[in-house]
Amino acid sequence: MKLEDATSLTERCFRGEPASCSYACPFHMDIRSFLDKAAKGRWGAAYKIFRNATVFPGIVAVLCEQPCRERCQRSVVGDEAIALRDIEAACLRYAKDRRPESYVIPPKEKRVAVVGAGLAGLSLALDLAQKKFLVTVFDKEEGWGGCLRPHPRFAEFDAEIALQFSAVKAEFRFGTEVKSLDELDGFDAVYVATGAGGESFGLCEGWDPDLFTTTVPRVFLGGALCGATLMEGIAQGAEVSKIIEVFLQTGRAAHTPSEFDKSGRGHYLTHDGAVSVPRVEPSSPEGYTDEEAKAEAARCLQCDCDYCFAGCEMLRRFRKDPRKIGVEVYTDMNVNPPFSTRALTREAYSCNICGYCESVCPESVDIGRAMQLSRTARMSAGVDPAALHDYWLREMDFSTSEGAFASAPKGRDACEYAFYPGCQLGASNPEHVLRAYGFLKEKYDAGIILGCCGAPAYWAGDEERLQSNIEEIRRQWHDMGEPTLIFACATCESLFCRSLPEIPRVSLYQLLAEAEDIVPTKIFSEAAIFDPCAARGDPEMEAGVRALAGKAGVSLEELPERNRCCGYGGHIQLANPELYEEITAHRAEASDRPYIVYCANCREVFASRDKECVHVLDMAFGLPLSGRAPSLQEKRDNSLRVKKELMKEIKDVDFKPESHPWDDLTLIIDADLQKDLDEQLISAADLKEAIWVAESEGDRFVDESGGTTIASMVKRVITYWVEYRKTGPKTYEIVDAYYHRMRFGREE
Amino acid sequence: MSEEARNLRCSRCDRELVSKNIVFEYLGHTVAHEVPTCPKCGKVFISKELAEGRMAEVERQLEDK
Ligand code: SF4
Ligand code: SF4
Ligand code: SF4
Ligand SMILES: [Zn+2]
Repeated sequence: MKLEDATSLTERCFRGEPASCSYACPFHMDIRSFLDKAAKGRWGAAYKIFRNATVFPGIVAVLCEQPCRERCQRSVVGDEAIALRDIEAACLRYAKDRRPESYVIPPKEKRVAVVGAGLAGLSLALDLAQKKFLVTVFDKEEGWGGCLRPHPRFAEFDAEIALQFSAVKAEFRFGTEVKSLDELDGFDAVYVATGAGGESFGLCEGWDPDLFTTTVPRVFLGGALCGATLMEGIAQGAEVSKIIEVFLQTGRAAHTPSEFDKSGRGHYLTHDGAVSVPRVEPSSPEGYTDEEAKAEAARCLQCDCDYCFAGCEMLRRFRKDPRKIGVEVYTDMNVNPPFSTRALTREAYSCNICGYCESVCPESVDIGRAMQLSRTARMSAGVDPAALHDYWLREMDFSTSEGAFASAPKGRDACEYAFYPGCQLGASNPEHVLRAYGFLKEKYDAGIILGCCGAPAYWAGDEERLQSNIEEIRRQWHDMGEPTLIFACATCESLFCRSLPEIPRVSLYQLLAEAEDIVPTKIFSEAAIFDPCAARGDPEMEAGVRALAGKAGVSLEELPERNRCCGYGGHIQLANPELYEEITAHRAEASDRPYIVYCANCREVFASRDKECVHVLDMAFGLPLSGRAPSLQEKRDNSLRVKKELMKEIKDVDFKPESHPWDDLTLIIDADLQKDLDEQLISAADLKEAIWVAESEGDRFVDESGGTTIASMVKRVITYWVEYRKTGPKTYEIVDAYYHRMRFGREE
Repeated sequence: MSEEARNLRCSRCDRELVSKNIVFEYLGHTVAHEVPTCPKCGKVFISKELAEGRMAEVERQLEDK
């Protein structure tokens, strides 16, 4: 995908678009805001919206046929549509000040004639008069109102028209029938709105329904004369007024750009969780009381999409419009610091890239994909904040080099199946990989590929590294005779699905569930399954885990929302520790029951939050509960142990991990500090190295009062500091450790 | 006891640290700040307080530019 296409990722988002009711409204009134104000009893503000949309609110509140109600989404919940007209009528009663506003704008010299003083003509006349054009209205009747004159409530309508015209100057020539357009030669524009069956001066032929123009350039036609309903006629008045204004300024009739796309219909939302509320009935025949009107307006569902926002902590925190995000991914690449700065900043690295937004979005907008693209763009432009992802990229380097191993089963050079455990499973608990491989070797004669799928590179936006890793995997797979790969990690599997679709895949959990001799232990009698975000769209994997838990006799509860990211996705931990904390807390609280997980990262997240949980492989192989999350150092050691055992078993080779002179140092770290270091991704190996270098080169600080030594070490983009105390031969007690990303130079 | 007020010595030069204005660099930007430094070899000491406080703040700002 090209950067230029970033905007296309989010452009289908319709957040902020008018609600479906507004598309049906002849005036395209912003009904949502009108009802919002009404529900709060802000009648003045509600009236303003109503008046500006409908020109003659006092007539519309009586005569509008309320087509909006046909498109009211209250129906989705099974309720009657909002009683718009009744609320409008209440609004007229309770708005304190209905006097029209007068505008201070310079008077114009152009003259406009309006033929017909029905609502269509009046609406146009009022609009142009407000803009201070010289307006003259002709009607053969002795007053305004057109077809409404015989109406039983005409007195009311008459007063409404008078009220709306009370702040403008317009000339009315009643009892004056215009027989020929020649009589109007002195006018710069003419609007003919003589009503149904009225005089058209032979101009119906050649009438343009879009611009209301006729074959005579300065003459426009509209209203019931051209088939509009009463309400449409009023709405047209405002529209034609703008067209005529352009015509008077430029000599050409044209629309002014409008935000409202009349061809749209508005999106319907699912309104999950919305409660049914019956329509409020007015207690008196006069209509709603203030309170009743407010209550009825409050039934409005305020139909606007916020589905992704409602569930995603990141979007909620940054409150940025999804369409804006897409545009910014693109525009940020043309930023030229220090003259301009990026618009999309922390949020690009705070996204779990979990696909949740896409799954809840009615238009399947994947904001995470846009965020990932932003990271990729920055990485390739060399302006990425490298420190945010450096730790995981180092781990990926390790998993794809020292920690890597690929082989067909013992004594063979090709196989039909091979296990792809992913880098985290063995790091988290070596038994998971070793026991699973034992099972797969017996049952499926499977080979093994230890490595990393490349998720850290994907999340860092390192496209190059991702691609070369994919090539390497493809090569290994090919060399092994193109086996079906067996996955235990949903993140690996989804990455393969995207980048190596030619490789056949099957889930380990499915195979375990099918095996009769696998009798999982019932560690918890009641539990909830926590499906990782990457398993979304992988029903086999999800079903396999459920079958295993079912086999164990666990009573299962489904979480209210499945496939939420535990927090680990996208590697946001360093980029946004507060958000990471918020997300992991929310996930841990999604159910009071203990979790059954099947992602090593989910397990570690929950273990570090002291949320009771078990990896389904612990159940499948009857392993003791894994307990606390392993430290960074333990994870490395675990990975090496897996490789060592498998190499011995399959190749009968004694694997010797790379050794360093600092390996045999012993560090004493108390549990609280250890937790802190793990959170900040400071590994014991780095501390040992820093201490060893400082001690052997004498390059360190000493704190005489505290009796401690302080060393520092620069590793790629991070500077580590460690304060320690020697407590025995090659043994150091760690007092503290921290890091920074800035590099210090020399004295200024 | 404030971190900055610690009594630190550069162990190689056996000298007490003195406060110096040092240039820091991050993501193409530079900032200067006074930090304890060995007067002889110029080795710089960054306290935890500084690393996790003001420095982290500036790092964040620069990452967000
Ligand atoms: S519920 Fe409110 S916003 Fe939604 S369609 Fe009905 S009136 Fe419009
Ligand atoms: S879910 Fe989000 S991205 Fe999708 S339409 Fe709604 S607001 Fe827009
Ligand atoms: S991918 Fe996940 S974290 Fe990112 S915006 Fe979507 S829901 Fe939020
Ligand atoms: Zn020195």
